[in-house]
Amino acid sequence: MNLAVLLNALPGAVAQGLIWGIMSIGVYITYKVLDLADLTVDGSMATGGAVCVMLILNGWNLWLALLCAIVAGMLAGLLTGLFHTAMGIPAILSGILTQLSLYSLNLAIMDFKANQGINVTKYQLIVSQRNVRDVSLSNPIVITLVILALLIGILYWFFGTETGCSLRATGANEAMSRAQGINTKKTKILGLMISNGIVALSSAMLAHYQGFVDVNMGRGAIVIGLAAVIISEVIFGKLFRNFALKLLAVAIGAVLYFIVIQIVLWLGLNTNLLKLLSALIVAVFLAIPFWKANFSAKHPHKGGRTHA
Amino acid sequence: MKKALSVLVAIILTLCLCGAASAEGQTYLVGICQLVQHVALDAATQGFRDALTEKLGDAVTFDEQNASGDSNTCSTIMNNFVSENVSLIMANATPALQAGVAATGDIPVLGTSVTDYATALDISDWSGATGINVSGTSDLAPLDQQAAMLHELFPDATKVGLLYCSAEPNSKYQVDVIKGYLEDMGLTCTEYTFADSNDVASVAQNACDGSEVIYIPTDNTAASCTEAIRNVLEPAKVPAVVGEEGICKGCGVATLSISYYDLGYATGEMAYEVLVNGADVSTMQIRFAPNVTKEYNAELCSLLGVTIPEGYTAIE
Repeated sequence: MNLAVLLNALPGAVAQGLIWGIMSIGVYITYKVLDLADLTVDGSMATGGAVCVMLILNGWNLWLALLCAIVAGMLAGLLTGLFHTAMGIPAILSGILTQLSLYSLNLAIMDFKANQGINVTKYQLIVSQRNVRDVSLSNPIVITLVILALLIGILYWFFGTETGCSLRATGANEAMSRAQGINTKKTKILGLMISNGIVALSSAMLAHYQGFVDVNMGRGAIVIGLAAVIISEVIFGKLFRNFALKLLAVAIGAVLYFIVIQIVLWLGLNTNLLKLLSALIVAVFLAIPFWKANFSAKHPHKGGRTHA
Repeated sequence: MKKALSVLVAIILTLCLCGAASAEGQTYLVGICQLVQHVALDAATQGFRDALTEKLGDAVTFDEQNASGDSNTCSTIMNNFVSENVSLIMANATPALQAGVAATGDIPVLGTSVTDYATALDISDWSGATGINVSGTSDLAPLDQQAAMLHELFPDATKVGLLYCSAEPNSKYQVDVIKGYLEDMGLTCTEYTFADSNDVASVAQNACDGSEVIYIPTDNTAASCTEAIRNVLEPAKVPAVVGEEGICKGCGVATLSISYYDLGYATGEMAYEVLVNGADVSTMQIRFAPNVTKEYNAELCSLLGVTIPEGYTAIE
């Protein structure tokens, strides 16, 4: 097992982790800020890529296509929001219903082809896995960090505005927010739209990075998103109090998840056990603070008598 | 603390140096990325390995990885291969091929079990070779012959149901092409798509209600749930002509079969040409399955009362 190989593979893992980190920030907004379990991401994780790739293949400008992808994601969030608020369906089910419908919608966007490749040599792409080891500005790590910084900046500003604060209030205590005159239905829809817009942005970047969009590429995305959010909570929960730093921690959580997967692959174990091993390693990761807390509860620090 | 850190860094650097100073011989490291665990894909990988091991013996080592059906994992696997600096990559199935192309423009990538390279890689003016660092073998069995076989076995049938998984681009491609051939013969075709193995039973029932014969292409999802499909087709007494031997064993009446093992073997031979003889992978023509055999499933034929003419071999 050659350590040099692992080190050489790390840039790829970091790049993938950062792209999924953007998606995890979207999950963070619904899961932590809005306190809503949103399963739409399994669908919108493919929608963004589908819209962006199909538009680029039809000759649209790269950035315009990216913008349309974000809008498509926001529409998916809108759908979930309407299911939840206008039709009274519980949040988790609304997310599942949207995710189901997005399967057909994504297929339709991709012209009923389940998989659409986009050739890095023919089209100008935002990021590509080809450049991940280059020391240059076209390295996906650099580009993704720039986009991540912009995103965190915009979100930090937004959640300081009045609308942003009403969103936070809705997540913190819905009944009290309603009592204070906040239209919680509107804020929930807005939160879902923002979240899925961000997920669609991540999806478009992922489609560029891996060179294809597949109708099933979002499957299991919510697991990765939640894993990143919880890993960041566990490791950086006490260190970062600032909202912007918390969002950054979420991205770092996603990077750590992908580094773990890369290590599992590098260990050369039976690849059929890849998913099981990744899950076990993440589980251990997440259990450490729990065990630490339990351990310190049973074995308190000495000096209690003198300090009592 | 600083001392411990510098000792740690020194150890890591030494390990890196040890890795870099490995022996330089005519040894080849070949990376194999398979999309999902599946009989046909497993056979293709085995054929590839056998071909290269026969020709190169101990000079070739394989790094075989399986993405377990997750196309995102293909990118991670390809990243691993590029960082290992493999001499050649074998991509088994379309998403693996696309991930390989995205990951590297230099390392030769040979695909297998990919039906259509032009659509997978978005290449216009298809000439048979890709022009980039990709070549390989295609599992496209001649669809006109398959259509002719369907008509030969069921000359009185007029309504054909085309059953496939909407998430598989290769299935869609085959269905589009064979639809053309069947309609030229005067048959009416209806497409019945299912999203995954959960709704295959209900869609298959729908297909049985609306058709006299069913056609299933080389669809990975259908291949993984042939029992479920058979449980619908058998009581409804609707026969199915399928694209591949594995599916035929499970739920089909007859098939124009290619051997995925032979396909993988042919890919291995192409790999040998690239690695040892220095062939230029960008000009290598895509190869197809060497042999096609007409096969039939004896048990299902007798259950559904289908008579098989001369020229067919029974599947064991």
